[in-house]
Amino acid sequence: MIRFEQVSKRYDGGHEALSSLSFHIEKGELVFLTGRSGAGKSTLLKLITAIEKPSSGSVRVNGALLKNYNRKDIAFYRRSLGIIHQDHQLMMNHSVFDNVAQPLYIAGEKPADVKRRVHAALDKVGLLSKVSFRPIQLSGGEQQRVGIARAVVKRPVLILADEPTGNLDPELSKDIMELFEQFNQLGTTVLIASHDLGLIARLNYRVMSLSNGQLVETPFASRGGQS
Amino acid sequence: MSNTKKTSNRKRQQVKPQTDIGGWARHHLKCASDAFLTLVRQPISSALTWLVIAIALMLPALFYIMLQAAASQTSHWQEGGQITLYLADATSESAGTTLANELALRPEVLKTEFISKEQAWQSFRPVISENTELQLESNPLPASVVVIPTLQDQADLEALILTLQDLPEINDIQIDLAWIARLNSLLDIARSTVHLLGIILSVAVLLIVGNTIRLSVESRKSEIEITKLLGATDAFVRRPFLYLGAWYGLFGGIAACVLLTLISVNFQSVLEPFLAGYGLSAPAIWLNAGELGTLLFASILVSLAGARIALWRHLRDTDPK
Repeated sequence: MIRFEQVSKRYDGGHEALSSLSFHIEKGELVFLTGRSGAGKSTLLKLITAIEKPSSGSVRVNGALLKNYNRKDIAFYRRSLGIIHQDHQLMMNHSVFDNVAQPLYIAGEKPADVKRRVHAALDKVGLLSKVSFRPIQLSGGEQQRVGIARAVVKRPVLILADEPTGNLDPELSKDIMELFEQFNQLGTTVLIASHDLGLIARLNYRVMSLSNGQLVETPFASRGGQS
Repeated sequence: MSNTKKTSNRKRQQVKPQTDIGGWARHHLKCASDAFLTLVRQPISSALTWLVIAIALMLPALFYIMLQAAASQTSHWQEGGQITLYLADATSESAGTTLANELALRPEVLKTEFISKEQAWQSFRPVISENTELQLESNPLPASVVVIPTLQDQADLEALILTLQDLPEINDIQIDLAWIARLNSLLDIARSTVHLLGIILSVAVLLIVGNTIRLSVESRKSEIEITKLLGATDAFVRRPFLYLGAWYGLFGGIAACVLLTLISVNFQSVLEPFLAGYGLSAPAIWLNAGELGTLLFASILVSLAGARIALWRHLRDTDPK
């Protein structure tokens, strides 16, 4: 599903965020990506979402080389992703409904389908009662859940989550992780960048640990996949 | 095509969703209604923009109306231009009358008048009687034919004069058309000025709308970035702003048409009694339905172009980072 081959990313100014990184994530896998701040997690996710291009090496998603995509191809490719941002990336002037519905509007879904699917997604994250609220009226945790609902509303083939449980209490974190696991069991590939070692330790999934832009061994890194 | 290239194209096709005309049409409808509501919900700030557009469009249109009115009047004034054909001494009075009648039949001639040697003397005598030193043994004045041409441009008049010069009865030609030529030149300059003014003020409309759209893009930059992250194409992102530009153009165009009509009706009501005092009828000084439609269409088109240029320039700045 995701294949990195000798990928390096050097930003203007010379900082090398990723260094000759190679890995492969199988279709239908759930993988944790961990590492300290500045280890290169965000850069890795940006390369997968085609926000950044690698300085060298190749990134393939679903067999396609991302560097061959033009602007339109990138837009269509992103529709197949469910992206959860650490800073939520919500449209503050729009309602919760409109935020979650945005991927469906972009895809040109019928209004009746949009309503049904948005309500179902918000129900899953426990925010159905706040459908007409604006994100500014919600807590950080609730905003995070709106972002999660938006990411899963289109049933993406690949979910990329950057600290999805960072603002949530343990009970809600558990519920959200169960939601990811449900999607994973339906065949969705899930890549979760997280600092929460307790959460990672509790769940028995493959862990990729980044340090200084390279994959390193961690206590969990030997896991081969779901037990 | 190599196998690698075929595989690459196949993979690219995988990411492209099937074209959904319904979804595309729904988004157009949504963008059009959202853009309209944006203008309605911000009546003061949006009115300032479309009123500036209206005034920018109204100025050249107003000059155009005045020019059209002036041009319609100069066609009447052209009757004031006349050609005097002085006949050779040997030409008899009957031959002169026949010549005048023959010339009157020509399509480029409105009317003619034969003035005999005697008639010329009679009209000239009061002038020379004041000069007692002038002693004349015989009438020195030639017979003449005064030709009033029909309404035509300068080139046609010059062609008519060339034809008349070849007639054997004619000794000399005096042309009183210089002032018409000068007037036509002035009207040509005025027309060029109106065209230039139209272009300059269209560019002004382009810049006004472009700047308004730029500000709108700036204020919604984070929203656009999020939308692009969710898979919106450039066309999808551009659409609401293009509709905003089109609405500005439509509102501005309608306001320009209304203002022009109000000014025209007011001015007409003042002009009619003024010209009636000189026995003249006032020309129509308003735009017809076709011209109003053209103004409206031009307003929308120029505003759309302004929006499109602004988006071309600023949309790339909203790529996700």
